[in-house]
Amino acid sequence: MNTITDLTGLGLRWDPSGQAGLTGPLLALADGCDRAFRRLANRWRCREEAYPATLPASALRGHLRSFPHQVTFATALDSADANLAAFTDGPVLDRDGAVALTRTAPVTAVLTPAACYHVYHARQGEQLPAATYVTTRNTCFRREPRYEPLRRQWTFAMREIVCLGTAEESVSFLADARAVVDRFTLLIDLPLDWTPATDPFFRPERHPGHLLQRIQPVKHEATYGGSLALGSVNLHHDHFGSAYGIARDGAPATTACLAFGVERWLYALVDRHGTEPGGWPDLLAAAGQAAAR
Amino acid sequence: MRSDTEIRAELRTFVRRHAGQVAVTDDMPLFTLRVLRSVHLPELIILLERLRGAPIDVEQLRMGDFDGIDAMMASFGGRP
Repeated sequence: MNTITDLTGLGLRWDPSGQAGLTGPLLALADGCDRAFRRLANRWRCREEAYPATLPASALRGHLRSFPHQVTFATALDSADANLAAFTDGPVLDRDGAVALTRTAPVTAVLTPAACYHVYHARQGEQLPAATYVTTRNTCFRREPRYEPLRRQWTFAMREIVCLGTAEESVSFLADARAVVDRFTLLIDLPLDWTPATDPFFRPERHPGHLLQRIQPVKHEATYGGSLALGSVNLHHDHFGSAYGIARDGAPATTACLAFGVERWLYALVDRHGTEPGGWPDLLAAAGQAAAR
Repeated sequence: MRSDTEIRAELRTFVRRHAGQVAVTDDMPLFTLRVLRSVHLPELIILLERLRGAPIDVEQLRMGDFDGIDAMMASFGGRP
C-alpha cells in the first residue's frame, strides 16, 4: 500500500480539497499512461477530440437529476458594476475561507462530470454513416464525501475510448475493449478483476438507471487490489443516442465507452511495481502489443 | 398474494402494454432486447411487490432477475 510520503517523494502535490498536482516521476508516469491509452485507442482507429472544461447544464438534465451530489457548477458573479463593487467592498472571503459572494450570474454550465459526455453533445442531431470511434480526455469533477490521494479525488483525469454505432457494433466494441485491457494489464503485470458495478445514483432505490445496472451487465469495472476501479466498460444502450438525437442505421445510436481514471493507474502502478521509476513497466510498448490486430 | 398463474398473467399484460408491435414470449430477455427499458423498472417492481404481497429489496437484485417473464417468476413468484 502506497503512503502519502512515498507518493509525495515521487512528485505528488496533494491538496486536501481532493485535488492532486503531479510533478517529477509521477507526472512522467501519468503522461506515459495517457500515451499508452491513446495507443490502445489506435486499435479502433479512433479520432482524438479535445473539449472544454464545462458542458451546458441544459445538455445534462438527466445527469443533474441522477447525480446532484457529485456535480460541480461553474459560477460567476453577476457582472453588474454595482454588484461587483459590492463584492470587492466586502470581505471577499469569510473567516473559513469561503467566498463572500454577492449576486451570482445564472448558473448555466457544469464542470465536466465524464469525458465522454462531450462526444455525444458534439454530435447532437447527427446521422452516423458508420460506427464512430473517438478518444478524448478531460479533467473531470465529482464531489465525494471524502478524498484520498490518487484513489478518490474531486478532480481527476479521465481518458475515454467511445463507440457510437448500432447495438451490435457497440457490444462488439466492449467485448474487444475488455480483451485489449486484459492483454495490456497482463503485459505490464498489473492484475485486474472485472466486476459488475453500479454508478452512485442519488436515492438509488427507485432510480431506473440504478435498477437497470443491477439487473443488466451494462457496467463492469476493472478493479485492482479488490476495490480500486482503474477503469470501466459501459454500455449506454440508446440513452445518449436518444437524448442527443444521434442516429445510426435508422435508429438512435447505441453508445459504449471504455474509461480510464489516470490517477488511479498511478496509484496501482506504484503499488505494484514500487517507488523506483526504473522498475516501472514500458507502458507504451505493452499498449502497442495489446492493441495489435 | 396471487398465485403464480395470476402473477404471470399480470406480467404478460404489463409487458404487452409496453412492447408495441413486438411479439413477446415468456423466455424473451426483455431488457436485453430493449422491449422494456430502465424507465419501466420502478413500475415493474412495484407491480411485482403488489402481486406477490411482499417487498423487493432492490439491493438484492441479481443479474438476470428480469431477463424475461420466466426469469421474473423464478425470482419473485410465490406459489403454484
